[in-house]
This record gives sequence, C-alpha cells and structure tokens, in this order.
Amino acid sequence: MAKAQEQAVETAPPRQDSPAPGAAAAPVSAPKKDAPEAAEDAPETEFLTLGGKEHDTGIPIPVRPAPAAFDPDDHPPVTVNERYMVYPSQPLHDLSSPSAQAYAAEDKREPGRQLYALVCNPGLPVRTGVMQDMKRKAINGLIPLVDFGSEYWSPFDHTCMFVIFERPLGGRLTEAFGDKPLKVNEYELAKVILEPLAHAIAEMATADIQHRAIRLDNIFFMDRERHILVLGECVTSPPGFDQPSIYEPLERGLAMACGRGKGETRDDLYALGICALFLLLGYNPLGELSDEQMLIAKIEQGTYQAFCANERIPMALIEPLRGLMSDDPLERWPMEALELWISGQKKTPIQRRPIAKPKSTYGFGGYKHKSPRTIALFFAKNVNDAARAVKNGKLEHWVRQSLGDTHLADDINSLALHAKVHEGSPDASDEVLVAKTIMRLDPEGPLRYKGFSCTPDGFGAAMAVEYMRKESFQIPGEIFARDLMGYWFSSQREPNKDYIIIEKTFQNLRALTKINEMGYGLERCLYELNPSLPCLSPLLRSVYVEYVEEMLEALDQVADSVDSRTRPMDKHIAAFIATYFRHDITPHLKAVSDAKDEVSLIGTLSLLALMQWRQQTEPLLGLASWIGGLLGPAINTYHSRKTRRSLEEKIPALVRQGSLPGLFDLIDNGERRMLDNTEFDDARIKFAQAEDEIQTLIGDDVDQEKQALQKGEKATAMIALTVSMVATSVILTVMSM
Amino acid sequence: MNQQQAPAEDMRKRGRANLTWVLLVMTFLAVIAAPTMIVLFFGLLPAMVAYIIDRTPHKSAAITVGSINFIGVFPYVMQLWFDINDVSAAMDIVKDLFALLVMYSAAAFGWLLFLALPTVISSFVVVMHQRKVAQLRGQQKDLIDEWGAEVSQLVEMRRMERQGEHMSHGMSVSD
Repeated sequence: MAKAQEQAVETAPPRQDSPAPGAAAAPVSAPKKDAPEAAEDAPETEFLTLGGKEHDTGIPIPVRPAPAAFDPDDHPPVTVNERYMVYPSQPLHDLSSPSAQAYAAEDKREPGRQLYALVCNPGLPVRTGVMQDMKRKAINGLIPLVDFGSEYWSPFDHTCMFVIFERPLGGRLTEAFGDKPLKVNEYELAKVILEPLAHAIAEMATADIQHRAIRLDNIFFMDRERHILVLGECVTSPPGFDQPSIYEPLERGLAMACGRGKGETRDDLYALGICALFLLLGYNPLGELSDEQMLIAKIEQGTYQAFCANERIPMALIEPLRGLMSDDPLERWPMEALELWISGQKKTPIQRRPIAKPKSTYGFGGYKHKSPRTIALFFAKNVNDAARAVKNGKLEHWVRQSLGDTHLADDINSLALHAKVHEGSPDASDEVLVAKTIMRLDPEGPLRYKGFSCTPDGFGAAMAVEYMRKESFQIPGEIFARDLMGYWFSSQREPNKDYIIIEKTFQNLRALTKINEMGYGLERCLYELNPSLPCLSPLLRSVYVEYVEEMLEALDQVADSVDSRTRPMDKHIAAFIATYFRHDITPHLKAVSDAKDEVSLIGTLSLLALMQWRQQTEPLLGLASWIGGLLGPAINTYHSRKTRRSLEEKIPALVRQGSLPGLFDLIDNGERRMLDNTEFDDARIKFAQAEDEIQTLIGDDVDQEKQALQKGEKATAMIALTVSMVATSVILTVMSM
Repeated sequence: MNQQQAPAEDMRKRGRANLTWVLLVMTFLAVIAAPTMIVLFFGLLPAMVAYIIDRTPHKSAAITVGSINFIGVFPYVMQLWFDINDVSAAMDIVKDLFALLVMYSAAAFGWLLFLALPTVISSFVVVMHQRKVAQLRGQQKDLIDEWGAEVSQLVEMRRMERQGEHMSHGMSVSD
C-alpha cells in the first residue's frame, strides 16, 4: 500500500529529475553530431516516442504510470459523491493520464453507464475550476466530465481527487491506426481532425477554458465506430504539465512543466497545429533532436521552419499550419482565423519575417549562438559562466557590436555595473544577475532563476508543485524578495494588458510576503495564486480541504488522529482561511501570531469560533474536544483560581455541545475578564497593605522587644498620669469638703 | 558628618530656648506664688531628677515618677492654699520630715511603677503583635491561594526597588 502511494506521489512532480519507469525502453534518440555540448547535460526525458511496429515516428507521448490492480478485500470500492463506485481492483491502463490513474467506475443510479474514474495524484494541484465548468456545461468535442469529488483512496493511504468521465469507447486516436502508419491525408485532417477539435477549442474559449493538454495521445473516439473525436482530459494536473515541450509555444515550452501557466486559446491552437502536422506527416520531423535541440531549432528558425523546412506540406495546409505554429503570440492564428479557414474562407497570408541574424556568433556553453534567446537558454543552465560573461563585458560587447541592439547592451551593462557596485548583497548575487540578464535577452521567455522557470501565470502552479516536492518556499520566496517578477514585467518590450492584472497581483502578494504573521507570507501567496489547491497543512494530510467551508469539518475529522498537544492551526491553515474566508479576520490573525502562548491560543479559538458562527456549522465535537484540551494556558490568563476552576468545570459541557463560539465566550468573556482584573488589582493592594503592616510590626529593622518596652513605658506613663489626675481630683474634693 | 551635626545643634538651640522660657515662668511664679513654688520645688525634686536622667524622647519615666510624685505633694499644696499661705508655712512643710517622706515615697512608688509595669505591658504587646502578624499572614496566604503568587507583585517590586536603592547607595558610598 505504502509503495503504491509512493509511486503515486512521486511519479508526477519529480518528472524532470527522475527517469520514468519504462522510458528507458524507448528513449529519445541521441543528439545529433553538431549538437551543443550543454545538451548532453539536459535532464533525461520522461517521454516515450510513439511508433508503429517497424518505424519510430519520434512523436513524444508522456509516460502513463500503469495503475495496479488491488485486492478488493484489502481495498474495497470507493464511493464518490455517494453515487459513483470506483473499483481499485479494476485498473484501466489505456485510459490513464500521465498524472492520474484510471480505474473502472460505475454509476449506482444508472448501472449500465460506461464510465471510468481518474484518481489524481495527491502530490499535484488539479484544475477544479475547470472541472466545475466542465461538469456544469458539457463541451462538444471534449471528453464529458460526469462528476468529481475527493475521497479516501486506500491504495495511496491518502485522500485524492476522483474525476469521473464517460468512457471513450473508441480508445485513443493513436491506437486507432493499429499497424498502419500514423498518418492522415490533408482532406481527412481538415474534416475529421481539425474541424471537431477546433470547435471544441472554440467552445472552451467561449467558456474561458484553456485545455493546455492537447497532444496526439490525448485525443479519443467516444464511440466504438470511431466517428466522434474528442479531446481528452485536462484537469488532473496544472496547465501544460503533462505536455511534451514540443507541443508548447516557445515562451511556455522554455518553462518547467509545472510553470507553463494557464495560457490562452492561442496556446491550444499552437498545440493543435503541432498535432495536425504530426498527423499529416506521420512522424515528428524533429524527433531526432533532444528537447533542448528542438527548442534551439524553434528559436533559431521559427517553429514552422524548424518543422517544415524539409517537408512537403500540401498547399492548402501551409497557411493554417504557419498561422497556428507562429512563434509570435500576436501573429498566431486566433480562433476566428481557424474557423474561417475551416469554413473555406481564405485569410490574408502571414508575411514571413526573416529572423534577424547577428554579424557574428556568440560562443557560450560550447555552442555558437545566433540568438539572444538561445543564450538565455544556456545561461539558465550555467549560472557561474553566465555571470562571468556578463560581468566581463563580453556579452555586452557582442550585443552592441554584432547584434546592434544598443538598448539591450546598455541594459546588460547597467546590470553588470549594479552587480559590481553592490557585490556581496543578495540583490547582486550571480543568480539574480543571470536571471535578470536572461529576462533582458529573452523578455518573452519565462522567468528563470536557480532552476525554477515559469511564466507569470504559471508561477502559482510552479510554486505549488515546488512546495509539494520540496516542502520549501526557498526559491519562490527569493523571487518575491528580489522582485524578479516585477523585473520580468518591466523587461517586456510591448505592454500587454493581460499582464497588468497579474503584475498588480504580484505587487500585492509581495507586500503580503513581508508580513511575518500567520495568515500571510508565502503560504498566503500559495493559496492566492492557486484557487483550486487544497490546504496543504500537515495536520490535514488525510483529508482534502478545497473550500474554506470544509475546513472546520476537516479539523473535526482529524481531531481524533492527531497529537492532542498540537494546535488546530498552522501557517497553511491560517493562510488558507485568510485567503478564502470572506470576513475581516485581521485581529484574529494578529492574535494567532502572538508570541504569547495563551494569546495565540485564544486567537486560534476566536478565529475558528467565528468561522463556526458565520458558517452555521454543525456541532464540532472532535474539534471542540481538541481545543478544550488545549485551553489550559488560556484559562490561566484569569488571575482568580475560583474563576479558573469554574471555567474548567464548564468546559466539558460546551465540548459535548461541540460549540466553539460557546467555548470562546466562556474563555474570553469581557465582563468576566474585567471583573477579574479589577479584583486582582484590589487583592494586590490588600496584600501590599498587609505586608506593610507586618513590616511595621516585625520588620527586619524593627527591635520588637525595645518597641514593646517603649509601648509599655508609654502606657505606664499614661496610667500614672491618669492615676495622678484621679487622685488629685479626689484629694481636692475631700479637702474642700 | 556635617549633616549629622546639624540636627544636634538645632536641638541644643531649641533646648536652650525652652530653658529660658521655663526660668522666666518659674521666676514669675516665684514672685506671685512663692510659698507654693517652694513646696513644689522641694516636693517634686525626685520628678526633676527623673526628668534629667530620663534621656528618652517621650520622657515616660519622668511623666510616671512626676505624676505619682505630684499625688504625694498635692495634699501639702492644698494645705497651704486652704490654711496659711506664706513662705514660713511653706518652709514648715518642707522641713516636716513626714511630709517629705510622703512626697518622696510617692516618687519612689512612681519609680517602682515605671520599673515594673512596662515589662508586663510589653509582654502583652509582643503577644498581641504576634497574633496580628499571624492574622495578616493568613490574609496574605488566602490572597495567594485565590490569586496566585503574582498577587505579591507590588511587594516584590518594592523589595526590588529597595534592593536597587540599597545597591546604588552602596555604590555611591564606594565611589
């Protein structure tokens, strides 16, 4: 069981670092003879290549982990949303996704319905927003999503997201060819492939959904007759995560898989263009190249040229392919252009603009560069040499003299100068210098810093995956601290209105990272940037908390299994609540973060009580009992022992009611606290007065015997005086008679 | 050292002033009531001695001895006032051994009283103090039981302040 979980958690996130099981059987072919040396250091690819029995087509397909069949006695079926049965004993390898394993599913209300379930990897953020959209409205040309929900999956010993889909009875498009070559003619391509898929993309675009997982192996036939073509699922991993980089436009393909971003419909159309090309040719013209070589070819020649320079493309398809595969996002065919072409109308051909060539090449990393973008690609891989090249002015000289871009040369020069002047400061470290230089050299490319690369809209998912893999915010934290994302925005040559909101968001989040309190910091950024990410608190490992309304129930659920000495609050829970709870909880968060144990405890109770009160949650017996057991320090904030005993006696009754507001009212009653404070002040004064009196009687500097004797003497004198007066009066009276 | 000398000097000056007043009043009384003053002077000699030898600020010994001594003297003063009130009658009284014996015996009784009674009273006072302290300690214990040790914060603070003052004073002396 544990092994199965390990497999599940590890397969998807560390794909860049670990070779996939089975990938070794059919690796991508070796680099070409003139391949750059740096390419040899590239991480092992995790993609298989799609091939017929005789010929390798070079079309990459992501590895799909084979789901294991589990003994039904040990792992009984799981019921999702009290309706769909998922059977751990019936894996469906053919329907698995790279980041999710497929199992047979059954609708309890309609037993004959053909369904399957994808069990998502608990170590990856999923796209629940898209799931909701797909569930709410069926999209033609997209595999129908029936339902989704989180349940405990015993093989992983983890709560996972289950997505129920209608089963594509015709299987994958790639399997439909059987032993025949994976090739379609131009007429079939337009009618059978491009038309339905373009309509699907158009309908998704209307619903503001980007698929971001359009690739040849993710296209299915819904019917057995293989007439209804649909796009496969796109919700079990972050956008673009499962895509081989060949399907991604340059600016996203250069980012790490989890940082490619939500993207736009144009990015889906680019992937569609690549699919169309593969189907038209029957193979991948760049299949011989490694990922890095493929990216270099795309940069230096342009995608279309790199793919089609040596291929015979039918006239009718040149324009759509050139339009869909354009590297300039603004020039790339929009949906309307493709629809026009499908309907038979011609569009003005794209003017081919030759890529500017420098007067001389720039040698770095064993490769002679002709483009600043490839230099950026190599700089990201070799920071030390890159920093040296920037500082010694070699790069600036090449940019100025050979590229003729004085503006860029000045920028590089000022970066080098800044690094020299502020040497030793974190803002002028080699990594920051190189990251900023890369952003100047390739402004459209992703932010690249210490091996972390992402587009602005992919930062959230990248941050989430980075945290899930390493349980650390080190690099995203540094990106915020050095304001590298701000630098990325300032490096853009042309203002993009889509970035204005993202830039503003980053500015706000950067301010949040500087607040060192619970509910803020990088955890807050994580949830602000990933609306569908469940709470990653270690306390909530066994449950899946996606909505803030589920938080109290989840804490109640885990109350019996956690160490009762821990608090039901940590940075993740606080940040999750702060992100999604739509009421002002600033004072509560301040109290939760207080250094004093008792104040922090009362703050925690007050926050959770406020949530229960606002959400009108059912009684929370487990959570109330958990918190009730922790209230010792909070009760001790009262001075009066009598009050403390009284509170301790009242707690069990409130715990039995499962009422956090009741507990909070008991512990932090303003009237009671004021009375306690007043009475305590009185008691202190009484104590001091008693002490003063004692000191006057038996103080260290008091000679008791002497004092008593003095008092005796005084008393004797008074007695004598009194006696004298009485006697005098008597004598006077007697003698005057 | 000069600071210590100043109050002693003041007291001495004040004592001299008082003595001047006493002498003035005595002279005045001697002129207008010479017989009474003669009887009082000789009769109250023990009281005067007690006043002189009693160095305590409250002059308890002098008051005790004087009060009882006065009881012995007062009948003779009355005799003077009710019979012949002249100097020779006064001289007769002071020459009367029995009269002197009565006056001085009264003074002696006063001394006895002063020697015996304070010790007895002081024993009572000590016992009463102990009871009072026990009662106050009990009160403090009740307060600590109800409010915890922090109820003694004020006392502790004062103690700390005193210690601080003591330390700084010690340091200034050593300076």
